Amino acid sequence: MSDVIEMHLKLLFDLDTLLADLEEPVYKKIGFKIGDTERMALLGRRSDLLKKLPREIAEVYEMLKKRYQQAIAPVENGFCFGCFQQLPTQLLTRSKEVTTCPNCGRILYWREK
Amino acid sequence: MNLASLLSKERINLELKPGKKEEIIKDLVYSIKKGSDAELIVSTLLKREELGSTGIGKSIAIPHCRSLAVEKLEISVGRTTKPINFNAIDKKPVSLIFLIIAPPQDPGNQYLITLGKIVQIAKEMTKKNLIQKPQTPEEFITLINKIEKDIGKRK
Repeated sequence: MSDVIEMHLKLLFDLDTLLADLEEPVYKKIGFKIGDTERMALLGRRSDLLKKLPREIAEVYEMLKKRYQQAIAPVENGFCFGCFQQLPTQLLTRSKEVTTCPNCGRILYWREK
Repeated sequence: MNLASLLSKERINLELKPGKKEEIIKDLVYSIKKGSDAELIVSTLLKREELGSTGIGKSIAIPHCRSLAVEKLEISVGRTTKPINFNAIDKKPVSLIFLIIAPPQDPGNQYLITLGKIVQIAKEMTKKNLIQKPQTPEEFITLINKIEKDIGKRK
């Protein structure tokens, strides 16, 4: 997939992880309490980010998030690290298109080395 | 897992050049990652800061986030040569910064455990006036190890 789409997807994912952590009782217990206004502002940022993605990718992301929480997964040694299934050889080359795992459907990305 | 074992002397800068909060965060992130991974982490950390400063007060800040850009828990530490504005909760400048980045999923939720531990150790450093004491990264790790053991004994 293009670098810009990949960056937006990763940012969106990191933002979702951040939002999930805010709900963790342990996180609040440590002393990091976040107000509703700030949380709402962050949700607004999330919505802006989602709009920057092509609509079909944004929809796939939201659907996968509902299904798995982790909508995107890295490719490691030929495996999808979301479902740990081996990927077909033709998917192992980084493509400009958005690639999804044929087994679980997660959007795949390649880690920087 | 103890905190000292997660620290490496290469990622402890006790002579960090003062700068804006964003610059300091960037400096510390770049000691862990480079390129677009570093940009992603900085962006997520700054979004976390928008929610409220991670400057916990008494000269200490603990910027933190989870990010796809890391595969394991990563920590870097900086002590600025002059205190900097971090919009800390006590509105006082900050000089010691612990930066923590964790992968989205980590075994046993090490991230939140480590975050809690750092808050505790940092408060102890302030209480005992130890922030400026270590002169080398090795001394810093030794000090953290000692504080961690002392806290453990009290439990």
